Amino acid sequence: MYAALLSNRYLTSRLIPFIAIGAVGLCVALVVTVVSVMTGFLDMLKDSGRLIVGDVIVTSGLGGIPYGDELVTELRQHPDVQGATPLIDTIGLLRMPYPHGPQKEVSHVQVWAVDPTSLATVTDFANDLYWRPAADSAAAEAMAPEDPRRTLDGTLLEDGKRLAQASSGRPGIALGMHVSVGNARQSDGSYLPRYGWFMPGHDVTLTVVPVSGQGTIAEPREQVFPVVNEVQTGVYEVDRNRVFIPLAEGQRLLRLDEAWLYDLTAEPDADGNYPVIGRTPARVTKVLVRGRSGVNADELKREVGAVYAKFAERIEGDPARTARAPSFVNILTWNEQLRDLITPVEKEREMMRVLFSLIYIVCAGLILSIFWAIVVEKTRDIGILRAVGASRLGVMWIFLRYGLVIGVVGSGIGVLLAWIIVRNINAIHLAIGSDAPSGAWIGAYVVAGGCGVGLLRAAIKGRLLSILLWLLGMLVFALAATLLMLHKGTLIWDPSVYYFTIIPDRVDWTTAWTTALGGVLFSVIGAAIPASKAADIDPVEALHYG
Amino acid sequence: MGEAILEARGVKRTYAFGSVGVPVLLGTDLVVAEGEWLAVLGSSGSGKSTLLHLLGGLDRPDAGGGEIRFMGTPIAVTNSRALDVYRNRDIGFVFQFYHLLPELTVLENAMLPAMIGGWTGLASARRRDAEAHARTLLDSFGLSQRLAHQPGQLSGGERQRVAIARALVNKPRVLLADEPTGNLDAHTGTGILELLAARHASGLTMVMVTHDPEVAARATRVVRLVGGRVE
Repeated sequence: MYAALLSNRYLTSRLIPFIAIGAVGLCVALVVTVVSVMTGFLDMLKDSGRLIVGDVIVTSGLGGIPYGDELVTELRQHPDVQGATPLIDTIGLLRMPYPHGPQKEVSHVQVWAVDPTSLATVTDFANDLYWRPAADSAAAEAMAPEDPRRTLDGTLLEDGKRLAQASSGRPGIALGMHVSVGNARQSDGSYLPRYGWFMPGHDVTLTVVPVSGQGTIAEPREQVFPVVNEVQTGVYEVDRNRVFIPLAEGQRLLRLDEAWLYDLTAEPDADGNYPVIGRTPARVTKVLVRGRSGVNADELKREVGAVYAKFAERIEGDPARTARAPSFVNILTWNEQLRDLITPVEKEREMMRVLFSLIYIVCAGLILSIFWAIVVEKTRDIGILRAVGASRLGVMWIFLRYGLVIGVVGSGIGVLLAWIIVRNINAIHLAIGSDAPSGAWIGAYVVAGGCGVGLLRAAIKGRLLSILLWLLGMLVFALAATLLMLHKGTLIWDPSVYYFTIIPDRVDWTTAWTTALGGVLFSVIGAAIPASKAADIDPVEALHYG
Repeated sequence: MGEAILEARGVKRTYAFGSVGVPVLLGTDLVVAEGEWLAVLGSSGSGKSTLLHLLGGLDRPDAGGGEIRFMGTPIAVTNSRALDVYRNRDIGFVFQFYHLLPELTVLENAMLPAMIGGWTGLASARRRDAEAHARTLLDSFGLSQRLAHQPGQLSGGERQRVAIARALVNKPRVLLADEPTGNLDAHTGTGILELLAARHASGLTMVMVTHDPEVAARATRVVRLVGGRVE
């Protein structure tokens, strides 16, 4: 009872414990904010990754998987499978329509030749098409005046969904949002055309190199496609590199389409043609599979493997088939597929957690030094307490409890502060990315002026501490005002570095509570040494202290 | 006079200053009878306060340097917890410089030993009794209007009265007073002595150390501490 009373009185009768609470709060807020953003970033990466590649990916070698349509049909019939889609994944060169003049910019791209309809059942492709009309008039009003989406009808969206230009009947291409330099990301995450290059409607030339199953390279082939839409997955690596074309066009360009088989050992006819002995099936290099809700990716991977084994066996055993399914294909979950992307981020997060957790040691050291000073100051009080019957443990508990209160209150404030920062991190980022309002820096200059007046009054009275505090206040506010005045907006969260166009704004509560617990623990550890010193004080010496 | 309540038997106490030992008590014998007011008179540095601290269990005799007995039983010098309870329940201390806790109010200061006793298992009903007792004591010492004040807002005499109330709140068997009027003017000091005399008259055993013969004269018995021994 007396320990609680004295802890509370020591806490509320001086300023220094509030500095300790502030220090613990800032440490906790820093760790929770950083780790929450990193965790959110990782979650977004995983969520987006799954929406980009599905749950399970079947990948073949360069020769591709023949009869891919049959494999997809068999996969779709499996009760665990919600959707499956075939595609070809290759690299290519994209000749852009800019700049004006004969010299054009050429970008290397990742080409996905897809069936857009089935792709939309496995990935978020249809929702990722960026150029679409505003959902309603209110949404249109909220857009920038020059935003093309304000005036769009549904044509681009439909063209994108089919990867075909309805007006010309030509197969189309959808570019990742950052493939073209024509899209300028705004601070609110939207895009506006720049340099006059609104890409939909422009023609681009795609060049790919067919590669045989044996790894030999054929003549590069190229095709002109109209840009029908652009795709924003939110993962910069994808949006910077990937383009989508129809599967049939990809198969044709890469010579993976259905073709006649000739017997080159026979004698050609009078026109020089060899006799036809059959047709080779079209091929795909990947099949993406989406599991039904609740189906675990690893479980689905096993099922897909079983389906593929039966498919390969059936093809193998059918003498009418002109091609064999590869005996080995790589079947990976989305997590395994994106391991190269996810693992470094996971390691970064853990490294950040460890590095930032070192702040706790500083925190414990701060509390230790503050408490040490308080114990020295309160030596006589400790002697009095011992004289009226307080035990050594009782004295120790006063200071441990004191540390505990500082830890609990500081950690609570830290978690609250982190929650406010993380929840509003995009708004904060937007504010940092914009010019500071004139009222802010004028207000800061006014406060600096007020501090100047206080400084003069303190100087007249000759109070050194007051002079120093007013001077510091004036300098801090004057500096803040000047920085605000000069601030012209800075993009901190560069999507080219951080993959995503928005900052994760969910608090990682597991981290928050463990961090808060750490804050409490280190506060108590910091208090334990001075508390032990207090308990060891000889009461007779303490009564004579001071 | 009653039975012996507090005894010092051949008590020796040497303080170490670095490698130099300074003997203060050289085998002191003292018997305090129940109900008496004993004054220990001695000059500064004679070891009066040391003797009081030893009697009160705040300090311990040198190894093999005698013992302190309370009601015939040696106070448990090897059992820290038992000594804490002894200081809390059986003994009340009054110091020359009051030694009140500045963060606590008058009532809280007076309640402190009861709160410490409560922490060691005092039932809540007894705690309420203790608070009532503290209020009664402070009221009888003319401090009923000062209960919520802090020590810094009181005069020296008022502070000493709060200290006496604190010493008496757990109804100890013995009050140990170390120069209780040493920091007060003559008039205020007389008031404090009157107050102590009244407590003694109601049966409280008191041991008071002082260097002032006039103060010592108020006691029922006076002993002198000279050369580390009681004469």
